[in-house]
Amino acid sequence: MTRVTDIICVFRIQFAGTRREVGPFLLAAFVFPAAMYLFANAVAGVEVAPEQSRLRFLAGSIVFSLSLTSISWLGYLLLENRFTGRLKLFATLPLAPSSYVFGVLVFAIAQAAVSVTTLLVVGRALGVQMRPNFPLLIVVILLTILCLCGLGVVVAARARSFSQGSLLTDTLGAGLIFLAPVYYAPEVMPRALRVFAQLLPTTFAARAVQTTLAGGHAIGNELLALSVIAVATLALGFKLMKWRED
Amino acid sequence: MTATIESLSQMEVRRGTLAPAPPREIAVRVRDLIKVYRDGTEANRGISLEVRRGEVVAIVGPNGAGKTTFLRQLTTELRPTAGSVSVFGVDAVAEPERAKRAMGITPQEAGVFERLTVREHFELFARLKHLSKREAREAAREVIEELGLSAETNKNVGALSGGQRRRILIGLALLGRPPLLVLDEPTTGLDPSSRRAVWSVIRRAVAVGATVILSTHYMEEAERLSDRIGVIAAGRLIAFGTLDELLVRLDRSYRLSYRDPIDPSSDLKIRYCASFAQAQQHIARELLSEYSIARASLEDVYFNLTGEPFDKDEAEAIG
Ligand SMILES: Nc1ncnc2c1ncn2[C@@H]1O[C@H](COP(=O)(O)OP(=O)(O)O)[C@@H](O)[C@H]1O
Ligand SMILES: [Mg+2]
Repeated sequence: MTRVTDIICVFRIQFAGTRREVGPFLLAAFVFPAAMYLFANAVAGVEVAPEQSRLRFLAGSIVFSLSLTSISWLGYLLLENRFTGRLKLFATLPLAPSSYVFGVLVFAIAQAAVSVTTLLVVGRALGVQMRPNFPLLIVVILLTILCLCGLGVVVAARARSFSQGSLLTDTLGAGLIFLAPVYYAPEVMPRALRVFAQLLPTTFAARAVQTTLAGGHAIGNELLALSVIAVATLALGFKLMKWRED
Repeated sequence: MTATIESLSQMEVRRGTLAPAPPREIAVRVRDLIKVYRDGTEANRGISLEVRRGEVVAIVGPNGAGKTTFLRQLTTELRPTAGSVSVFGVDAVAEPERAKRAMGITPQEAGVFERLTVREHFELFARLKHLSKREAREAAREVIEELGLSAETNKNVGALSGGQRRRILIGLALLGRPPLLVLDEPTTGLDPSSRRAVWSVIRRAVAVGATVILSTHYMEEAERLSDRIGVIAAGRLIAFGTLDELLVRLDRSYRLSYRDPIDPSSDLKIRYCASFAQAQQHIARELLSEYSIARASLEDVYFNLTGEPFDKDEAEAIG
């Protein structure tokens, strides 16, 4: 019970801390991916893009927005707390480091929920044909957020400086999208990259989101892979995230 | 210096028989604390001390002596290389979270959440100290009032001055009335009146049972606020006792300041004397005309022990 209270308090501290910026935050989480969706459509040729491609672009944009919120911005928040000495303040409390991470994670999930919903509404308005399987979609999105947040936590806990850390999270946030077959089919990738890309969480996420948006549910492998990655990155993140210095 | 140390042991024997300390519960027990940082810096080289419940202990020492390192190990922020720390019987090295439940901590440096208002900051942190909603609201109100921040209640913490932020950090430590306060230079950077406000807040906490360990740059603070004073130099606790005990250890408890009669334009000179009579003898012998004799103070003890004046810059800055 105290654990839940702790997590909620951390969330409220972070949320209140960014309430003035929450507009631009969400705008960026939506505008960026939405623009990418339009861009991908344009490059593929809007008129000729078959339904399947449009669905892929929308799924890609959703994963893109998750990547932005979960790695780049969550990472930024964690780095900011660490390098402005606020973490030291949390460290004075009888607060478990994992409660802190979960509090920030809830914040990331709230952001992601808003931006994904917006993208879905816009997708529908633009006439993308979809029959989303919502419960499954929510599971996929949560697992994706956990994977990516885990990465953000690892980077933020290990970075030597704010600038080094934020460079890394920005690069990861975008890199994981453009190095994975998120906006294009895996067949068009160079062979070596394709093998590598098969292991990226964003690859599994994009495939799973696309399938659930199309009303499918054959995503057992993707869910398994995302779960394994989420457990691995979060476990590493929690291990690195501690109050006490050696 | 050698003479001081020799006579010191006799003094201690005599004092030991004179004043048997009443037994009191030990709040903090530190044994052989050693901290070697990764880069090889030996910041604490075997510190042992015991702090009794209800006591105020001030830790003084030159910059870089290892005070912050010492306090950060008490607060579990830093893992000791060797040695033990127990807080009200809880092993702080093995069970940091449990030990922290008994502590209110003000780090030497920490960031605040600038976009929270003063009230929100206190209330949310009180909740994180597991106070109920009502208790948190009440605790925040009390602390704001005690620290003279009432006019800032609804201001963003980011809009506060450096001294006001420092007071926020002290207030966060006070929330929930923890039985042990560990404050690393709580009043550094505060103007004299805020400093006095902080002193009275600390005194009030002690009056209702708190134990306090603080480090300070200000002699006056150590003298006025603390029951016992620990001097740390080069990672070692070189003296620990009440002001009177430290003065006795000094063994030259009068300070004679005088101007050299042969060179009247020179700076004041200082000489420590064992007694008032000895000081007078010196005055007669040297035919001094401009002089003053005073009881030695903590500043003199400090100077004798560490060979450094007690943070002269800081002292002058507050004049
Ligand atoms: N994180 C650290 N890594 C390496 N050396 C450190 C670290 N923190 C402090 N030191 C060194 O340890 C010594 C004691 O520092 P500190 O405990 O901060 O002293 P004080 O608080 O008495 O000024 C200094 O020489 C300081 O440079
Ligand atoms: Mg210090």
